[in-house]
Amino acid sequence: MSFPSDEMDDIINDFIAEASEGLESLDQKFIELEKNPGDTGLLNDIFRSIHTIKGAAGFLGFQQMVEVTHVTEDVLNKLRKGEMSVDAGVMDAILESVDLIKVILNNIRERNGRNEDTSGIILSLSGILSASQADQAGEADKPEQAAATAEARTLEVEAKATGPVDEAKAAECEPVAEAETPKASTAAEKVVELPRPEAKPQAEAKQQKEEGGAKEQSIRVDIERLDAVLNLAGELVLSRNRLMRLGSKLSETAVDGDLVSHMNEGIAQLDLVTTDLQLAVMKMRMQPIAKVFNKFPRMVRDLARQNSKEVELVISGEETELDKTVIEELGDPLVHLIRNALDHGMETPEERVAAGKPRCGTVSLSAYQEGRNIIVSVAEDGRGMSPAHIKKSAVEKGLLTEDEAAKLSNKDALNLIFIPGFSTAKKVSNISGRGVGMDVVKTNITRINGSIDIDSEVGKGTRITFSLPLTLAIIQALTVDAGGEVYGIPLSTVIENIRVTDSDIKTVDGKEVIQIRDRVYPVVRLGELVSGNVSSHKSEWRYIVLIGIGEKRFGILVDRLHGQEEIVMKSMGEYLKGTEGIAGACITGDGNVILILDLAGLLQAVQRSYAF
Amino acid sequence: MYDQNMKILVVDDFSTMRRIIKNILKEIGYTNVDEADDGSTALEKLKSAKFDFVVTDWNMPNMPGIELLKAIRQDPELKETPVLMVTAEAAKENVVTAVAAGVNNYIVKPFTAAALKERIDLILEKLKATPQ
Repeated sequence: MSFPSDEMDDIINDFIAEASEGLESLDQKFIELEKNPGDTGLLNDIFRSIHTIKGAAGFLGFQQMVEVTHVTEDVLNKLRKGEMSVDAGVMDAILESVDLIKVILNNIRERNGRNEDTSGIILSLSGILSASQADQAGEADKPEQAAATAEARTLEVEAKATGPVDEAKAAECEPVAEAETPKASTAAEKVVELPRPEAKPQAEAKQQKEEGGAKEQSIRVDIERLDAVLNLAGELVLSRNRLMRLGSKLSETAVDGDLVSHMNEGIAQLDLVTTDLQLAVMKMRMQPIAKVFNKFPRMVRDLARQNSKEVELVISGEETELDKTVIEELGDPLVHLIRNALDHGMETPEERVAAGKPRCGTVSLSAYQEGRNIIVSVAEDGRGMSPAHIKKSAVEKGLLTEDEAAKLSNKDALNLIFIPGFSTAKKVSNISGRGVGMDVVKTNITRINGSIDIDSEVGKGTRITFSLPLTLAIIQALTVDAGGEVYGIPLSTVIENIRVTDSDIKTVDGKEVIQIRDRVYPVVRLGELVSGNVSSHKSEWRYIVLIGIGEKRFGILVDRLHGQEEIVMKSMGEYLKGTEGIAGACITGDGNVILILDLAGLLQAVQRSYAF
Repeated sequence: MYDQNMKILVVDDFSTMRRIIKNILKEIGYTNVDEADDGSTALEKLKSAKFDFVVTDWNMPNMPGIELLKAIRQDPELKETPVLMVTAEAAKENVVTAVAAGVNNYIVKPFTAAALKERIDLILEKLKATPQ
């Protein structure tokens, strides 16, 4: 096509986005199809997706894509017309070709110019086609259609007589340089001769168009633009915080009470609008979790087949919405969990029957909102994990001593699986059991301010639950003072604050701990740990901020509590990136820069020195 | 030459496809183009504003192109509107059905700008020849 090149780029980007969406939803449909092979509606849907992609790919000159989609479409066409039936072999071939289409689409996206070997899949699909061809006899036109057929032929003839026609040449649809018949060239001249439409009719047309109402329900926006808006909204939050702070100070000191109260009204209004704006922008970035969930039916099917296990995947709450970034970060951890469930958790059908369970196991993947958090869980009714077995394995691997193991509660024992290097699989399969799974899961989830909970019962199964924030952009923080510096602690991790004196802090084995009610917690002196400043605080009262990450608890000793603030976190930049215990910085209402603690990082430091 | 300002409705469920067709139409001089994402939205648009020409895809959810065509031909207000059907392959049975339902012509994807112009001109020429 001879469109301007930036227009062409735009169209290609559109195509990539639209085609990937279509392909993503296909996996789910294929699994459903395998359950209901006779569902014509579903088959039509699937056929249409492939068909549409082929159509657009043809225009855009993606030849490989056309070849693969073409033969896939042929097979699907036979399926939907009932000329062939869906069986596992056909399904495997179609799934394989859809995978290849995805690879080709990715090549287009990356503009890497790579050519995939399409011959294998084309051959196997053509084989399926020709096998079914044998049953096909040539069909004669139905009598009532004969007249129409005749007219169709005339149409065809007319079209062919008048100039360059596409049909057979369709694939080589290059710029319009085909042989010109005299008629076509006169037509072209006419275009030139035609007076340009005057401004008036054009304006009228425009108006008409607006009245006619080309109302698209949604538009695609580049994620960078969205992030820019989000960033600006964040800045606005900061300015609002600062104004609110100044406003309340002014009320205390100013003489002109009237003016101040007017200003405060204005600020209150700004506060309201900013909150709404923040929410609106946040919503723009929200996507249904189905985006991640959708790839699992296919994965579970493939894994179950590979492992000769019988598993049904039950998905619920896929319409739950989450921030795009959270969704992207969630993919890998869920893949690990599902693989573990299929590989370790689920028994073989024979084992299940022997244990008095139904032959077919169930893995359920669910999501729902709970307050400001989204809860995502993966549960299976497999063999479950034995705390004793995990402890033994951890001791064998030298991850902890027998004494330590003996002291662990069952819950803590289960949490051992999150330690790097831990893997209980007796044999390493190609799916999981390489000991690189669960610790990565934990790191990823903590990175997006989420927490993990694990629940397992021998013989009954295992449930792993993530609690995730709705958004990453704006966080509620507790601001505290330690060693003369102010820090922000993400409120989602704070369990409680307790006022203490120095004498409440005890030393056990040279390590500082605090007893709160009947439990003992490690204590981190924030001032010393982060800035190295010894507290110059004069008052005898201090505060312990009790932090909970998953099942872990520890106390942070600070000099003073400031209050709660909504903050927009900024990264520390290249120079200070990776400072342990610091997640980023932000500007507070009074215009100061404060550091935001990375509690997952702090927890690691605490675990190293306290070995708990 | 025909009225380059005639109002065309492009119907396709794949937005990239609508964009491609709109661009091709622009290339051959037709800029007064509106779009619809399936047969039923198209029908609504056709009923609410006057269109001079319809280019519709065949395979769409809810209301496929052939149903749209039948609905147009059955509507006393719309029945004269020329319809060009876009199909992915020249499957004979499709063409036969479409002709029986009163399509003015059809074109197979992918097509060139010249081919599209050819078909549109052909349809308009034929309409001019047959007094209505």
